[in-house]
Amino acid sequence: MKTIDVDRSLCDNHGQCAIAAPSVFRMNSEGILEFEETFEDGLLDEVEEAIDVCPVQAIFLKD
Amino acid sequence: MSTPTVEAPYLDISDPSFAMQSEALRAAREQSWYARTNFGLAVLRYDEVSKLLKSPKLIQGSAKWPAHNGVHSGLFHDWWIKNLLVLEGEDHHRIRRLLNPAFSPRLIKDLVPRFQALANELVDAFIDKGECEFVKDFAEPYATRVLTILLGIPESEWPKIARLASTVGLALGVTFKQDLDKVEAAVAELYEYAEELIKDRQANPGEDFVSRLVLANRDGDRLSDEELRNALVLLIFGGMDTTRNQLGLAMQSFIRNPEQWELLATRPDLGGKAVEEVMRTNPTVTWVTREAVEDFTFQDLPIAKGTTVHLFTQSSGTDPQAFPNPEMDLLGEHAPHYGFGGGVHHCLGHFVARADMSEALPLLARRLAGPHLAGGDEWLPDSGNTGPIRLPIGFTKRA
Repeated sequence: MKTIDVDRSLCDNHGQCAIAAPSVFRMNSEGILEFEETFEDGLLDEVEEAIDVCPVQAIFLKD
Repeated sequence: MSTPTVEAPYLDISDPSFAMQSEALRAAREQSWYARTNFGLAVLRYDEVSKLLKSPKLIQGSAKWPAHNGVHSGLFHDWWIKNLLVLEGEDHHRIRRLLNPAFSPRLIKDLVPRFQALANELVDAFIDKGECEFVKDFAEPYATRVLTILLGIPESEWPKIARLASTVGLALGVTFKQDLDKVEAAVAELYEYAEELIKDRQANPGEDFVSRLVLANRDGDRLSDEELRNALVLLIFGGMDTTRNQLGLAMQSFIRNPEQWELLATRPDLGGKAVEEVMRTNPTVTWVTREAVEDFTFQDLPIAKGTTVHLFTQSSGTDPQAFPNPEMDLLGEHAPHYGFGGGVHHCLGHFVARADMSEALPLLARRLAGPHLAGGDEWLPDSGNTGPIRLPIGFTKRA
């Protein structure tokens, strides 16, 4: 299992992460990001994609 | 009881004298967060632009642009209705996922030395003259050659690419119908270019940008030849005019703020901030369009399905409610601008644009002192996608 964090002061709720890694990130009905803090190793590629595409670079892998 | 619409100001956005950077617009923004227009609603303030830009109740909305102009078939039409910007839902997300890796900020960073070399080469050609036509001598070759570097085609091809990109760009303007034959011919030529590139990288894949698109693979899903070709045309079409115009507007901004230019000359580390501040206060994309997919209410305003909603990026970027000091300030902290749009359709190439402009601006500041208008400048209308057509400037060569 791996852990991520999102800097909410940077996050601007664009939703690019939710496109890149829909198993881990999603936009709720208010348009605000909700995400799984821990995820299976098998999803690492997708999560790294999400980290890459965030327009404000607000997502961080913690381990 | 008065309804909100009675109090909202009205703006005729098709009037040739309509201008984004105007007293009329500032007054409207002070009066209300939105204005009624002759073609939908205009959103004027930062907070509302920010929310609506990412609202799931709104789609990008310009799929019907060719049809609105009486164009129902042909190469441009067929390309347009499938391009990433107008796709929605899973059709959109699938293509976006496959294109994303090639545009990664980590990969773009590796190209920075080439951007610097390019900027220096262009400045070397005019530095001793004390003057230049900034669009022709810098902004256009820089923006286009960045694309050739990205595509891995000879930089010497840039005049042709620039001409083709500009011609296709006519399709988004008021002369679309008249210029249709030219647009069709340009799309055909861009297709040939793209197809050659794709064939070459399919036969000899490398580490370059086009190879990455060709090899893109998401759980076994790949881009078809047609999707690859469409993506390359989108890159050229979407990446040239915008960057060229934005660099020209940056020069305008700094001519108006000479102390910020001097600061940038001694602080190249502020290159990134310079790009953000120029795009906040003087963006080339002055408005972003959306269309309501269903009836909904936003801040007590009912918005009917099908309503066009124009999100004014220059207006929101200088909104005093979000920016108490709206003037460009490289040392200040500011909320993010929306010059690259936002939400699911956020500009795909923005890391490229940010990287290449962040190199160009400090380099220009370091080499050119006291840039000023030399007379004879010509501008696109201050609406839609704006910028200089001609920008003669004078300057002093720095030691």
